[in-house]
Amino acid sequence: MQLRPIVTFTAQKLLRLGLLLLAVAIFTFVLLSLSPIDPVQAYIGADMMRISPEQQQLIAERWGLDQPMAVRFWDWLGQLLQGNWGTSMVFNQPVGEVIAKRFWVSVQMLAIAWLLSGVLGLGLGILSGALAGSWIDRVIRLYAYTLASSPTFWAALLLLIVFSVSLRVTPICCAAPPGVLAGDVTIWQHLHHLLLPAITLSIIGIANITLHTRQKLIDVLHSDYILFARAQGEPLWGLIRHHGFRNLILPALTLQFASLSELFGGSVLVEQVFAYPGLGEATVQAALRSDIPLLVGIVFFSALFVYTGNTIADLAYPIVDPRIRLGGSQS
Amino acid sequence: MGKRKQVLLGSLGTALLGAVLVGCGSGPTGSGTEEPSAQTGSAEQIVLAIAGESEEGYDPTLGWGRYGSPLFQSTLLKRDADLNIINDLATDYRVSEDGLTWTVTIRDDAVFSDGEPLTASDVAYTFNQAAESGGLTDVTVLEEAVSIDDTTLELRLNEPQSTFVNRLITLGIVPEHAHGPDYARTPIGSGPYQMVQWDEGQQLIVETNPNYYGEAPGIDRLVFLFVEEDAAFAAAKAGEAQVVSVPQALAVQTIEGMTLYDVTSVDNRGLMFPYVPASGETTSDGDPIGNDVTADPAIRQAVNYAVDRQALVDGVLEGYGSVAYGPVSGLAWEEPSAAIEDAQPEQAQEILAAGGWTDSNGDGVLEKDGLTAEFTILYPASDSTRQALALTTAEMLKPIGIQANVEGKSWDEIEPAMHSNVVVFGWGSHDQTEMYNLYYSQAAQGDFYNAGYYANQAIDETLDLAMGAPSEAEAIAFWKAAQWDGDTGFTAKGDAAWAWLVNLDHTYFVSDCLNIGQPQVEPHGHGWPITANIAGWEWTCN
Repeated sequence: MQLRPIVTFTAQKLLRLGLLLLAVAIFTFVLLSLSPIDPVQAYIGADMMRISPEQQQLIAERWGLDQPMAVRFWDWLGQLLQGNWGTSMVFNQPVGEVIAKRFWVSVQMLAIAWLLSGVLGLGLGILSGALAGSWIDRVIRLYAYTLASSPTFWAALLLLIVFSVSLRVTPICCAAPPGVLAGDVTIWQHLHHLLLPAITLSIIGIANITLHTRQKLIDVLHSDYILFARAQGEPLWGLIRHHGFRNLILPALTLQFASLSELFGGSVLVEQVFAYPGLGEATVQAALRSDIPLLVGIVFFSALFVYTGNTIADLAYPIVDPRIRLGGSQS
Repeated sequence: MGKRKQVLLGSLGTALLGAVLVGCGSGPTGSGTEEPSAQTGSAEQIVLAIAGESEEGYDPTLGWGRYGSPLFQSTLLKRDADLNIINDLATDYRVSEDGLTWTVTIRDDAVFSDGEPLTASDVAYTFNQAAESGGLTDVTVLEEAVSIDDTTLELRLNEPQSTFVNRLITLGIVPEHAHGPDYARTPIGSGPYQMVQWDEGQQLIVETNPNYYGEAPGIDRLVFLFVEEDAAFAAAKAGEAQVVSVPQALAVQTIEGMTLYDVTSVDNRGLMFPYVPASGETTSDGDPIGNDVTADPAIRQAVNYAVDRQALVDGVLEGYGSVAYGPVSGLAWEEPSAAIEDAQPEQAQEILAAGGWTDSNGDGVLEKDGLTAEFTILYPASDSTRQALALTTAEMLKPIGIQANVEGKSWDEIEPAMHSNVVVFGWGSHDQTEMYNLYYSQAAQGDFYNAGYYANQAIDETLDLAMGAPSEAEAIAFWKAAQWDGDTGFTAKGDAAWAWLVNLDHTYFVSDCLNIGQPQVEPHGHGWPITANIAGWEWTCN
């Protein structure tokens, strides 16, 4: 009896994922092919005057750009089914390798940012909701509104100026200190370089989760059963622990997993500012030079990443709230 | 979820714990003492923040090494500080009478960094490979390269090309036995340095190649940081980098312990004029060709004479630049007599009056046969230097009655409009091919080549003679004549196909303890070109 909803759920999810990825691939491919940036010219840049038309033809052939778009798309799809993501034009390397290498650099930053924004956002939201109207609430709201309305790259630059340039407590760039061999980089140095980008990135999520949590808590605190509990003499923090938190955790979880996509998008900007060579930075390069295989690969990968995140959230609901069942219908 | 969370938290906990343990363990011995030596310069190691990362790797057959030093590989020939051609791997080279066969003999003591000897067949392999690899080095004129014996090879061309010598200067030789798809990330060569580690997007660490046939480099270990200009400047201020390229705007600052190197370049900026009238003709993409106003030689010459180039250098470039009258300033093939006395609005007005331009309606802008002396100057909107050059030039043209409207656009908007509007372009190379493609009439095919559709048969003939000459030395006379031979030329005194404005100086902060010798006149591209003589750099402090 328990098995069927899970099978249906999995099948539905996989079907949707397949359709999503196909749509994403087609859209990215077509949009990029229509982009005014000519990858050959972007590659040649200022050497334009010394590269003859024959050589330009050779470059186009090397990347298969002499073929029409439909042919290239089918080739690409055929290769993808065999597990080959194609070769990046910018990095002259298989797309799979580029993504694996870059994602490994990004994932630690993303993980720290994600945890920070979740924990801090929830904590601040509860504090602010519980003390609604007080000066603490006002300060937290001011903070949240400011963060929510400030562009990520601007916040990143500001933090860079304060902590790296003025105070010199954090490094200016990169994922490791200059001149040190990979084997000699200590984990402290690693964290030191990771910290500021991760904190900057977490800022994106904090405001959102704080404000939503706050609102939800205020709603809960104004309900009848809270009034009843209050009448029984339950103190405020007891109310929050026993009634508020349980009601909060579900929307917070949804938001937290939904924020994965924002986090992914934010990493593009943050990595650019901190010269942090992760997937976000590769995305910018790929887009600026119309590197279709790499960009499609990254878009594909990020779709998979976000979709997985949302699926985990779906799977988490029945665990958090036993009233919810996979596949619906069963009461 | 519960399990997942535990795993996540658990691994984070382990990581933190590990960090604490490692931190404690290596604290007093490792990071405490090592860090200062890694951050300050010495004869053992310097840090350079001059950009120039080659994202696709370090394979010369794909174009690596076309500026500055190829580091890992060595080339047949090279240019010295005065850009004279001198031997490197080659001991001698001859060009046949018909200019089709280049016979090169190479030294017999060159060894790759993996210990294998470098022979003529490696050289032939490199050239053949480059000819078909579709990278950023154009060897399409090569029919085939053939090794005759271990130290002799022949490069057979499809047609004579005097500029082919630039391939011998820039194409680093790769080992036939170790060249493949992975080569670009694990380069092996006969150059002064070998790769230690490349953290893509961050840094490149290289060390001297013990097998290098030349004099051992003065610095044992080089660390190239690939960071943005602001971060590079900050690194220099913090004493973490010893050579840093900075934009002109930052060059006015001072950094303790560092000297500003203001390197002359042929990194030029100029106004490209559409040369033909708008006749309704279009390129193969359907973009309009020609502009009635700039097709008038009086207009083009007047612009050339009216502009105050020194004022542009002082005002726009903060003094870090030089005036340009042609596309090859400061190079051996520049024709000195092509220079004009500029900043002369009176002379410009005389030229315009003689050309039939008068201000008949008194609005301050000249007219001729119902045509107003007005055109649009386009510049790439992301480039503030070109913007300032365009705006300042437009101001200088106002007093002589020429109305120039300045518009910033993206390159994909400029491209369709560049055959019918004035554009602020920037080029500059040690390879004369560039000059040929800027002015050769047949090169105009609706692309960046000769974008203004300049056409003068006499110039075409001179350029052909230069290209067909057997050697660079013999070609120089023709390259000069094409600029101005006392009678015709594409520069201001002749057809004035362009109004060249300035050359940008390339500005670097270099540690006082580092002697980088005399830098070359640098090509377009600020940063990596300074490495041209990097093997000769020396640390002068203790």
